[in-house]
Amino acid sequence: MQILAISPDPNERSQTLAQKLRARYRFLADRDLAVTRRYGLVHSRGGPSGEDVPIPTTVVLDRRGVVRWLKVADNYQVRPDPADVARAARGL
Amino acid sequence: MMRFAPAILSVAVTLGAAFAYFWFLRVPAIRNHPALYLAGFALGAVIAAVAVWRSARWPNIAALALSVALLVLGAYFNFVFARLPAAGAVLKVGEAAPDFTLPDAAGAAVTLASFRDQRPVVLVFYRGYW
Repeated sequence: MQILAISPDPNERSQTLAQKLRARYRFLADRDLAVTRRYGLVHSRGGPSGEDVPIPTTVVLDRRGVVRWLKVADNYQVRPDPADVARAARGL
Repeated sequence: MMRFAPAILSVAVTLGAAFAYFWFLRVPAIRNHPALYLAGFALGAVIAAVAVWRSARWPNIAALALSVALLVLGAYFNFVFARLPAAGAVLKVGEAAPDFTLPDAAGAAVTLASFRDQRPVVLVFYRGYW
């Protein structure tokens, strides 16, 4: 299973975060939110200084690139349980 | 001292709920139910309200003020401030995800389609480090 973590953060910052969390993520920088926008996941002016930010979302794709599981946050305190994500990805 | 036991209990329940919110941020089963800490503040407010009703002394009133203030702020945070808009109707279960190419931390271009027939992919869109 490959985890791709996408944010508008510059990569150096994501790298620091990855080391801090000891995460085996591959961090991808979507600086201008172009991909996030194409996925319909932009929260307009949702940032602390009124900038556009991504809507926190987790998507599980099978080997053909088809969406098999999807969680779009409606409250930013709530994030999917990693166990649920692992269960969704198992056996794909 | 015992006279103000309800006030002390109210403050303990209220502050306990506030600390628990931060303490359990990494425990999904608790973190994903943010209304739990509001229930803690509400319980603290009920205990303090009963204490005030019995005796309107300042420790009871202070406990009531603290728990009600945290209940109001917490409710605003949870039900208004932390709310997110619905996503655009792009991603649907059973449909292909749009392809993309983005740079990774080493500056190398990563294309979603390159994982096709290789392994499943989990995409995590996150807001970034503030």
